[in-house]
Amino acid sequence: MTNIQGTGPQGTGPSRPAQPVRVVIVDDHGIFRSGLKADLDASIHVVGEAATVEQAIAVIAQERPEVVLLDVHLPGGLGGGGREVIAGSAALLATTKFLALSVSDAAEDVVAVIRAGARGYVTKTISGAEITDAVFRVAGGDAVFSPRLAGFVLDAFGTAPADIADDELDRLSARELEVMRLIARGYSYKEVAKELFISIKTVETHVSAVLRKLQLSSRHELTKWAAERRLL
Amino acid sequence: MTTALTRPPLVRSSDRIIAGVCAGLAAHLGWPVKGVRIGMVLASLAGGAGLAFYAWLWIMVPTADESARRNARRPASPIAPAVPRAMPGATTTGDAAAVRPPWFRVGGVRYGKEILLGAGLLLVAGILIAQLLGVNVPLGTLIPAAAVLGGASIAWMQLDETRRAGLLDKTKADQAGGWARLAAGLALVVAGVLVMVSGSGSWEQTWLALLASVAVLGGVVLVLLPWALKFWRDLETERAGRIRETERAEIAAHLHDSVLQTLALIQRRAANEHDVVRLARAQERELRNWLFQDPGKDAGQLSDRIKAVAAEVEDSLGNAVEVVSVGDTAMTESHEALVQASREAMLNASRHGGGAVSVYLEVSAGRTEVFIKDRGPGFDLQDVPEDRLGVRESIIGRMKRHGGTASITSTEDGTEVRLGLPAIPTDYAEGKS
Repeated sequence: MTNIQGTGPQGTGPSRPAQPVRVVIVDDHGIFRSGLKADLDASIHVVGEAATVEQAIAVIAQERPEVVLLDVHLPGGLGGGGREVIAGSAALLATTKFLALSVSDAAEDVVAVIRAGARGYVTKTISGAEITDAVFRVAGGDAVFSPRLAGFVLDAFGTAPADIADDELDRLSARELEVMRLIARGYSYKEVAKELFISIKTVETHVSAVLRKLQLSSRHELTKWAAERRLL
Repeated sequence: MTTALTRPPLVRSSDRIIAGVCAGLAAHLGWPVKGVRIGMVLASLAGGAGLAFYAWLWIMVPTADESARRNARRPASPIAPAVPRAMPGATTTGDAAAVRPPWFRVGGVRYGKEILLGAGLLLVAGILIAQLLGVNVPLGTLIPAAAVLGGASIAWMQLDETRRAGLLDKTKADQAGGWARLAAGLALVVAGVLVMVSGSGSWEQTWLALLASVAVLGGVVLVLLPWALKFWRDLETERAGRIRETERAEIAAHLHDSVLQTLALIQRRAANEHDVVRLARAQERELRNWLFQDPGKDAGQLSDRIKAVAAEVEDSLGNAVEVVSVGDTAMTESHEALVQASREAMLNASRHGGGAVSVYLEVSAGRTEVFIKDRGPGFDLQDVPEDRLGVRESIIGRMKRHGGTASITSTEDGTEVRLGLPAIPTDYAEGKS
């Protein structure tokens, strides 16, 4: 996927940046952290690690990484886990991007970190190459949606382009729905672009717009839905 | 008597006149209820022996509800099959409680303080009554005594009610009624005791005594209130702790039965990567299902079936099958055909794609769709031999017969099977997308 263009400061494609991406890994399982470090591409520099909410906030403030790989469930703090880390690093959100990484598929976990400000969500079972790709994409300012997250979005916003909602944030456009549906079906951004005869840049724009809506929508159903669902 | 083993447990019956003691006793002994009641009344006339026995049983014997709850509190732990859950052979013919409760111990363990208090009160009341009855039987003493007994009964029945209220979450109206009963019982007891103690029954003395006792009571309440509050709080903490303990035991039991067993299996098969992955996936699926299952959701919906089929394919071929579902619907005959067609497509995708398979199920108002995508080398439908029934019959043919659609897109990047089913199956053939 070398033809995916990001909007990184160097203007290079996300998978081959001029400079290595500086990353902090936040996860309470030491084994997982070391496994992840070994799996990541050589162009990703892990500059720090943390196992608790407090450690994470301190390390992020000190290292100011471009990307934080953040576990959703973390000990420490007030029990808010990854959400609390993002809230505690709110001042850095402009330069530091958060990619949620979780073994949990529970909707409320995922939606909570996304709404807190994470730029994407991937499950821990994905391969090193995929996670590397996701890191570059997030570092480039794009959103990373797994099929599962796309499924959540479709479930929360409804699968039909709603026309009764009075707030633009409360619905997805027909195009955004199409993009979400294809991602839920397992399409990569490149394949989505090909299927819809649009550029990858346009796909990324749509996904980012959906992410923004997911983060900002005050849609009552969204929060209620997230609280109610304990289903995959 | 060997028949004791088959007796129903001794619990207080809900078919009650006062506290359900007689009915419970009758059920336990297999005697007619009326006989037991008459016997109890007769025994009461014999120096109050029946009364004492009745009160004792009332305190010591739990109601059927309480008994059932006490037994239910033990987690059904498969870890400890060696720990006997009940006395052997304690099969019941009664329907309320599952096992015969060790009723002679129960109170002492759980309501120890309450029972001590009750027994003390009873002792005092008994001595008082015996003394008063021993001398002569003046009406002026008997009436207040009856008032005291009546008041106590009312208040104690209230105690039963509140215990049950905790279980059934009664409404506020009932609670108010309960308080009224408690207050009435208290008033009766206080009035009875006052008249009894003041003896003469003259108003002046009674008022004085009332004033004095109210003052004393006030003082006692003032002293005991913080202690009582602390006791109450301790009780709440203890109860919360017990709930946590039960939950922990349940989780431990589950992990033991599933995760630990799988980990042991994985260690034994460490050499076979394929087996390890398969075991890990199957265990992950099981644990996820256990952790995140929604008890309020109907089982057997379409998404459950699709997930079950995906799990089956995953187990048999070893490649991950990720299911994402949006919406859900109850199963019908055509949905069953859709599930079977999906299964066939998943099998093909897993077998020929050779990697992870993505499955997406979407149920909307008008349509049910399933997409099965793999990243294999792809194939051309024209090249599939006529005798291969997999794709042609099991997928396309099956969907058409049930008024649905099926299409297959295959490129060098992978293959996607798209299955569609209109909400109300009709004969129309929709254009393949």
